[in-house]
Amino acid sequence: MRMNHFVKLALVVVVLVTSSGCTTVKRWFGWGAGAKETTTKVTDVPWDADTGTAINDQKSFAESREPVTGVSFSPVYFGFDSYQLAPVEVSKIEQVAQHLLQNSSHVVLIDGHCDERGSNEYNLSLGEQRAQTIRGYIVSLGIDGGRVQTRSFGEEKPAAPGRAEEAYRLNRRGEFGIYK
Amino acid sequence: MKRFLLMVAVMGTVTVVCGADITVRGEGASKDAVSLTGLAATGETGSLFVQTLQGDLERSGWFKIDPAGQIRVSGAASARADGLSVSSLVSWPGKRMEWNRSSAAGATEVRRLAHQLANDMVKNIKGERGIAGTRIVLVNRRGPNNADLFMCDADGRGLAQITQDNVAAVGPKWDRDGQNILYTSYLHKSPTVYRFPATGGRRLPLAKFNGLNTGAEISPDGRTAVLILALSGNPDVYTLDLGSGAVTRLTQTPHAVEASPAWSPDGAKVVYVGDASGSPQLYSVDVATRRSRRLTYKGSENVNPDWAANGKIVYATRRSGGYQIAVLDPAAGGESDTPLTSGPDHEDPSWAPDSRHIVCSRAEGSGRSSLWILDTQGDSPVRLFPNAGNWMSPDWSDK
Repeated sequence: MRMNHFVKLALVVVVLVTSSGCTTVKRWFGWGAGAKETTTKVTDVPWDADTGTAINDQKSFAESREPVTGVSFSPVYFGFDSYQLAPVEVSKIEQVAQHLLQNSSHVVLIDGHCDERGSNEYNLSLGEQRAQTIRGYIVSLGIDGGRVQTRSFGEEKPAAPGRAEEAYRLNRRGEFGIYK
Repeated sequence: MKRFLLMVAVMGTVTVVCGADITVRGEGASKDAVSLTGLAATGETGSLFVQTLQGDLERSGWFKIDPAGQIRVSGAASARADGLSVSSLVSWPGKRMEWNRSSAAGATEVRRLAHQLANDMVKNIKGERGIAGTRIVLVNRRGPNNADLFMCDADGRGLAQITQDNVAAVGPKWDRDGQNILYTSYLHKSPTVYRFPATGGRRLPLAKFNGLNTGAEISPDGRTAVLILALSGNPDVYTLDLGSGAVTRLTQTPHAVEASPAWSPDGAKVVYVGDASGSPQLYSVDVATRRSRRLTYKGSENVNPDWAANGKIVYATRRSGGYQIAVLDPAAGGESDTPLTSGPDHEDPSWAPDSRHIVCSRAEGSGRSSLWILDTQGDSPVRLFPNAGNWMSPDWSDK
């Protein structure tokens, strides 16, 4: 059972990497020497939805569901002013996707966070973009988009206090909350 | 009638010198001298009226108080059993204004009456919009995901807490008539735009879509909100029709982050922050055509734009590693090489309705920030209020 899911995950990734649809998201996995560009198809995101009436009374999983206790995943860390996924971070997201595949009643709320540098409002958007990048990857791994929500805290909820580089690094993150 | 004739006669002789005489160099900006010695105050409320008027005139930036000033306020502010009665004459070279009004006895009412006279003097003598009696809404951040909104008068008085939530609160904004406040709160665990009457009342969600809801500002005509949503998988600038509830996306940048939209005074354009170039910069988007134009190139970051009634945009620019406040005129083009501020980080600027003063936050050494009023015409910055705390994101009401 566990093996099957890994095979399925691998297949999805291969298919996505080799496909070239019109709705693609380019993403750099890594920086500098050895950086490799891959494209990931995102199926549930209508880029052409310029206008319309969306549901304006949406409850997040944090409001509408119960948190699953005893399950936790490592935060995904980001570079300064960046929402790109570093290669070492990708496996953390795959573990979450794996959990969602194995627990069909579970859903995930991804919290995007920033360090305190920059404007509060810009950081709210950057945190959302970080969470959305993680979400896009989870969805690309075969998880239904309705099971994956995003929430940005910007710089409003740091994990580490202070203004040292290490605190900044720990605060530029995406966190996973599992709900049922 | 006799007095009027006398004034005209006197004016004939004074106008020759008044241009040089009444305009004196103040601390920075040039100011007209006002004499309040002819305004008699009786009782505590009378004194409060004159004190408030004096403070308002000085804070307006246009006047200095000087017993020898040629702008003369005479008459009486008299305490009565039921309140305060003001019977006054304001005269200045060539003109005069009779001003007779009364108020209830409360300090708020008396101060409001003084604000009205100060604003009438600014309007009639200088032809400018006064700021007395306007208000500033702001955020007090106490810790991680722990903040609340506060409000004070433009002179820093009357600081009062207006939410009691102890959750993150971001970017409060007044609507154009100064009746309602919009802001982003985590009251229901995810970032939601709420709107509530400034005088108190129900707080209702304005935008509670999936994902990010933030940065909302109501258009000058009151019909539309501009805000940041992430309906298409990443943050973009949207409009929300307050009547129909329809949303329209103004930017289409799947690989860029947008933030901090603010309306132009005519409601035809929106200035916002976008990082499509690789760093946060200011752009202006035409609401009808949805065409964007980049406005800033100087500085490694340009954020927090606010568009004044006179068409100028104030923003925080990152130069040499620190954030400072700068102003640009999108019609004339050209960014200034010299920001208004220097030294510690200055962020979150918001225009006063006079298009002259700006309130912004300034970093303190302790990691906190305080709020300061800047003058684009040269007066020194003034701290809004002395209270200790971490104060940020001020927004100045239009009324």
